[in-house]
Order: sequence, then structure tokens, then C-alpha cells
Amino acid sequence: MNHPALAEKFAKDFNRTTWHDETLWFVRQKRDRAIYPIPEFQELRLLASQIKDHTLSNLDNYLLQFEENAIKNGVKVHWAADGEEHNRIVLDIIRNASSIKGKTGPIKMVKSKSMLTEECHLNPFLQKNGVEVVDTDLGERIVQFRNEPPSHIVMPAIHLKKEDVGETFHEHLGTPKGEKDPQALTEAARQHLRQKFVEADVALTGVNFAVAETGSFVVCTNEGNADLGVNLANVHIACMGMEKLIPKVEHLSVFIRLLARSATGQPVTTYTSHFTKPADGKEMHIVIVDNGRTQQLGRSDFRNSLKCIRCGACMNTCPVYRRSGGHSYDFTVPGPIGAILSPNIDLHKYSSLPFASTLCGSCSDVCPVKIDIHVQLYKWRQVVSKENELPAAKKWGMKGLAKMLAMPKVYDLGGKVARSALRILPHGMTHAQSMNPWAKARELPDAPKQSFKEWYSKNKKS
Amino acid sequence: MKVALFIPCYVDQFYPNVGINTLQLLEKLGVEVAYPTQQTCCGQPMANSGCEQDSKEVYHHFVDTFADYDYIVTPSGSCTYHVRKHYDIIDQTPAVQKVRKGVYELVDFLENILKVEEIPVDFPYKVGLHLSCHGQRGLRQANASEIIGDKGGQILTLLRKLRGIEITQLERNDECCGFGGSFCITEEAVSARMGQDRIADHVRNGTKVLTGGDMSCLMHLEGIVKRQQLPMKVMHIAEILNGSQP
Amino acid sequence: MTSREKILASVKANKPSFLELPVISAFEGDGSIERFKTVLAGIGGHAIEIDSKTDCQGVIDTHYSDLKNVASKLVKASVEIDINTSKEVLEQVDLAVIDGIIGVAENGAIWIPEVNMINRALPFITQHLVLVLDKTYIVANMHEAYKKLDTIGNYGAFIAGPSKTADIEQSLVIGAHGARSMMVILY
Repeated sequence: MNHPALAEKFAKDFNRTTWHDETLWFVRQKRDRAIYPIPEFQELRLLASQIKDHTLSNLDNYLLQFEENAIKNGVKVHWAADGEEHNRIVLDIIRNASSIKGKTGPIKMVKSKSMLTEECHLNPFLQKNGVEVVDTDLGERIVQFRNEPPSHIVMPAIHLKKEDVGETFHEHLGTPKGEKDPQALTEAARQHLRQKFVEADVALTGVNFAVAETGSFVVCTNEGNADLGVNLANVHIACMGMEKLIPKVEHLSVFIRLLARSATGQPVTTYTSHFTKPADGKEMHIVIVDNGRTQQLGRSDFRNSLKCIRCGACMNTCPVYRRSGGHSYDFTVPGPIGAILSPNIDLHKYSSLPFASTLCGSCSDVCPVKIDIHVQLYKWRQVVSKENELPAAKKWGMKGLAKMLAMPKVYDLGGKVARSALRILPHGMTHAQSMNPWAKARELPDAPKQSFKEWYSKNKKS
Repeated sequence: MKVALFIPCYVDQFYPNVGINTLQLLEKLGVEVAYPTQQTCCGQPMANSGCEQDSKEVYHHFVDTFADYDYIVTPSGSCTYHVRKHYDIIDQTPAVQKVRKGVYELVDFLENILKVEEIPVDFPYKVGLHLSCHGQRGLRQANASEIIGDKGGQILTLLRKLRGIEITQLERNDECCGFGGSFCITEEAVSARMGQDRIADHVRNGTKVLTGGDMSCLMHLEGIVKRQQLPMKVMHIAEILNGSQP
Repeated sequence: MTSREKILASVKANKPSFLELPVISAFEGDGSIERFKTVLAGIGGHAIEIDSKTDCQGVIDTHYSDLKNVASKLVKASVEIDINTSKEVLEQVDLAVIDGIIGVAENGAIWIPEVNMINRALPFITQHLVLVLDKTYIVANMHEAYKKLDTIGNYGAFIAGPSKTADIEQSLVIGAHGARSMMVILY
């Protein structure tokens, strides 16, 4: 299903849409309150954007530098061209780990949030191969129980109400029926997941930033689930999109100052963890993934979407996202940024996403790395049209309209005829909802007898 | 100073009064305004739908129509933005460059070219201002809440000069109305909902007259006001500044 | 061609022409103890000032007398922790008292290098966390913090307040997976 159809389904529940909109707007306001008092915030955005631009322009060398340093640190570095290879690499790491080899019973993995592994569909692949995978971020655990994809990259379960979570936990964790207190539900998850942390053989994390000069990577969480998992298990696998690189440790300061403030309005995440070397006797692996990123790097109009630090601010601010929900995008990364990343992956499947926007530009103004998201949405629309992915009615309609608007006399006459028709035809016909989507919730403007041009010709032209 | 008036296609057809008020306002301020009658449209409807290649001939027609003028004034931030921002796909001849530089949204023209200080108009109503995104974030005619907490902007500055006016304090000062060109049809459900939410904010906070710099947003919002039969009058900023009363 | 070679070749072919790295100007800010304490309180933490580091024991005795299993190199410990301690023992820790080395006033974060953690899992698995910090080591912002760190070492973390989540309806809950409370003792 395309975005308009899924969005319409979502928006049908009026009160829930109100709630969803207000919940996310609340986060946007928290973000505003966190950034207004910082005089250099706009300068930080510019710096972050320039650091990322620079890094992308030298990415091959930084990847090599990062790899060299990581290997020196005792970390194993793997390269995956696509999602499938990424999944296979992760499984091989698990099966070959000396601490796991020969284990009887299922291999247990705890995972902290990683949009990349969502993108690669890692969980079902590992489960099929006998690995028990537990998502440990609370929001991710909730949607994992429900067998749903996350609807937001920072708040995966933001589409759910506490009653929904209560029901899910009642079913999976045995909390009392009707329990919906977030405190009590979080406590139940804590008890359940502590057990999982202690039992885990392997811990997988995403990567927020990878530092070329030291071969380190940084993972940010509020819950502490990444560090708990990694520091209790014998094997740590960190999966990163190749665009996560930054040149130096000093650049972390810029991004750390921007990330949490933009994401949730916090001054910083509770835990900002810097991994450089594995603990004695343990394994650390990094999987560097392409999966379409080098292709996006080659598209000059769209390459700077690779600067994204996955803060989710563009979702929280997007008036369309707030009223259509993350699932209406049907892509790993929803919202405005998803709408410019997805066509690179599959233009046909996601051809409606660049149109799921009014081009209001709020996303670009909120983006901490200054991605010109709404400009790219406009440009993707042109690509969709060029690649013949526009609906036929729209395509030919626009061609006709353009012809008419290039010929003043035809335009004048066309306008006159249309206005007459609107005046003569009964309201029931001009506002027939099956014919005219405008009229479902709106009246058409009154059609005047005279256009401005006609008035001018009569009254002003000498 | 040669000034031309550009009345966007949908204003020409559906809101001639906005055109008339714009013209009268400029003339009152002593500007000699030409209105080239071969004008049609800036080409935005097709371009926003992904068909900017089809729009090229409309762009050329626009440039041919207005190339002789120093300023092309229009009561639309959206069309202004489109000409300035998106006429980059045709050859940048001197005429094209001149037109892109010369096109001005009405209020921007009043404040920054004519340097209007006074608006001798009584307007004793509670007025809600809808900021069009293309005017606000596109042309930077008003501060964006994503960047700064201060809500200042060009239209607000002019409105405050009116005698007796009270400005509505909105809960969301600069949220998009959901018009979005063909978006209002293809994404009807979200578009309508966005408009309803904007109107609800105005209703809750007492707006009696709803105004703005872009008739396209206002057409969409007025459609909702009328459907819900609300006691709210929708007027373009040109009408108010020219002394029209609700 | 391996995937590594393929990816690197493709990056090389597709990357834009070289763009310069910007210089980060020196951002100044309020690095006061007061600001640190206010920000920390805003993120669910709590700070206490003492005159001398030796008074730590008194603070712990006063505030945490009900907690049984205390792990620390700074105050009296009731469980011995080292890098080889088993998960089962770590899991039982009620309180960890650990030395922090840099505090950041703009966000309430404190840097903990691996060596101070005693065991890498300790600051995260403990039910309650106390970080002890020399108040002359509070800096204004993250730029100054990274400048002051000679190295980020093998492993280290900025910790800012107790573990938290707002994943259920954006309701803030303190004590997600990590520490349920976090106190900073400034000396």
C-alpha cells in the first residue's frame, strides 16, 4: 500500500491521531527548550554539517584509517556490501566465537538499538538459524513482542498507548491484566531483561559515531542497555553504516552536543560510551555496511542525506508524520529522512514517499546536520516523474496543465469555463466526494463571475 | 522603478478581490503598477508534482512576460519562492536572472523596497496570522520556531501598525496548514487533518479574522472554516492593509 | 574482488571532490558548580558537596545505610569486585561508588574511564550509582571535556544521571536497565 492509503487508515481514528500528534509535538517542544538557550546551536549545526561533508568527501581514506586503527586495537573488522552479507557475517561471527563454539542449547543474543539491523532484517535471519535474539531497548522489546516494526527511529513504540503496552506485557511477561502504569510496566521489563543480559552469549549494538583517528566507536543510550549487554557477554558485535565515520575525537563534542538535544530535548543521553579495545579475553567485532550507501554517495543531489545522525527530529517536527504514523511509510526509517533515503533503495516501491510532504521545510530547519530534506523531497519527485513512476492521471494532467498555462488565451478561456461550471453545477455535484477529494472536508471557494484579469481589462486598461 | 503586478493563477480565477486590493494598495502608496495581461502562472503546480520539465515552457512564458520590469510584485510568498528558488533549471540568461531577482512578495516589497512605516487603517478585530511555509521558511520572511524562540516576522510587523488590532497567540505559531499543492488532493486525509488542527488552534485562541500572505493556504483553511460553519472571516493580508473590513 | 575492495573502490568513484574540514572555534560557557548541579537535578541526578574526599564514607553511611552489597575502591566495600567477577555476583551489587574524572556543566555528564569502573559492567549493573568528583574538574561543555581528556582509553563513558526511558507514551521512568538512582559527591 502507498503512503496516502496507509495515512488515511491511520488518520481515520481521529482521537488517536490527535494523541499521536500531540505526543510527538511535545518532544519537538522539549527539543526547542533545549536548544534556544545555547547561543552557538546554529553554529554547531553548521560545523556538524561541514564535518560530515568533509568526511564524505574523503570517506575511503577515513574508512581505511578507521580499519587500521581498529585492527591495532584488537578489534576484528568486517565489510558487508549488502544486508544479506551483513547478516551472514554476524551469524559467522557468532558460530565461530571461541566462547560459543560447542555450546549446547540455543545461542543467546541481546541487542541494543540498531536501525541498520532493522534495515538488513537481521532478527528473522538469526532466529531462522537458531539464535535467540532479544531486543533490549524498551521500545524495541515492546514492538518485538508484538511482531511489529518500529514506527520511529528513536522512540520505536511511539505509536502505542500504555494500554496497548499493558496488554502486550500481560501476554508476554505476565503483568496483571489492566496494568498500564508506565513505571510498573518498565519495572517488569527491567526484571525480564536483566535475566536476558546475564544469560547472553553475544551482544550486538549499533554505532552512533565511529572515530577514524582512534578506531573507536561511540554508542549512546538512555537505558544503559548497550553497556549492560556488551559488558556481560563475551562477544560484542557492532554494526555500522559506513557513513557513521567522523575524523577525530574532538569532533565528537559537536555531535554529542547536537544529538540528544535534537532527539529528545535532553542535554545528553544518560550513557555516551566509547569503545576502543575489547576487555581482556573477550571479542569485539565491527561490521561496516554499504547496502546502497555508496550508490547514494554518487547521487550529487541526494548524497548529503548520508550525513544523517538518526536523531529523529525531522519526524517529531513533521506535521505529516505526526498525523500519519511511522508505519505509513512502510520503510525502516520513516518520516522526512526516510522519504529521501527510501527511493534510493527501491524507487518503484517508495515512489509515493517523496510526495508525503507539503514541502514546508520544517525538517530542514530542525535537522542538526543541516540536510536540505525538503529540497531533496522536491528533487526526488522529479526523479520519480522522470523514471515514469508517476500515476498516469497525474502525469498527463500535469502535461495538459503546463500546455494550457503556457498559452494565455487558452488559460483565460479555461478559467472562465471552469468558473461558470462551478457556478452553474449544483453543490452536490461539485462537492461529490467520490469525484473531488477536496470536498471531503472542505468547501470549494466561491467561483466569481469575473477573474482579476477580466476586472482589470474592464476597469483599468486605458 | 518599473513595477509589474503578478496575480497568481488561482488568485486571478478565484480571488479577484485579493488582486484588486493588492493593486489599489500599491497605487495608494504611489507606485505606478503595470499588469501585463498575458501572464498566467509561475509553474509551481506542475513542478511540485514532479513535472518541472513540463513547467519549463511556463517558466519561459513568465520570464518573457516580466523581463522588462525592475520589480514583479505578487501577493504570494509561495510563487515568489518558486521563481527565486526553482527557476534554476532553465538557461540563466540575463532576463531570467533579472526576473528571479526582481520578483517580490507583496509584504516584503512594502517593507524592504517601499520602506512603509505607517498603515493608516483601523482594524479592531482579533486577527490570527497564518504563516505560509514558503514565505516563512522559504523566503525567511518570519522567524522559524525550529531556529529561534522569537516569533517576529514581516507580516506581523505590518499588522501591529493597524489601529485597534489584537493578534492571536497561537499554540503552534508556524505549523504548516497542509495545503501543499497537489498534496491537498493526493494526501487528502492528512491534508484535511492538518488544516482542521490549524483552524482549531485559531478557534481556541479567539481568532475572528484569519489572514496570511498566501491565498493558497487560506483557500484550504477557508474551505474548512466554511465546511464547519465557523464564525471566522478569512482575508488575505492585502485586503486588510488596503482597508477592507471583514 | 572482496566486498571490502568493492566498497572502497565504489566510495572512491562516487565521493564528491574534496571539502575542507572546518575549525571548531573555542566555545565558552558557564562551567560553574551551580550550573552543573542544576542541570544534573534536571536529568534526575542529585549532587552533594563535601569538604574533603575523606568525607565520602559519611555521605554513603547517611544515604545508603539500607543497601547491603556495596562495591567500591573509595569507601568501605562489602563485595569484592575485579575484572574477573562473575555475572552472578555483579548482578547482586546494590551500590557502586566510583571516581569520576571530569564533569560537564552543560549536561551533567561525568567521564568514567575503564580503570575507575573496576569491572566494565559495574556502573551499569549496579542498582544505585554514586560518582565522586573533584569539583575543580568541572568544565563548561563537551569541547572542553574532550580537550581535557588525554585519551578516551580502551573504554570509557560519560554518564549523566540515572538510567531512564520514556518509551511508553513519553512518560519518563527512572531506572530502565541501569542504575535506579545516581548521586554525585563533589569534593
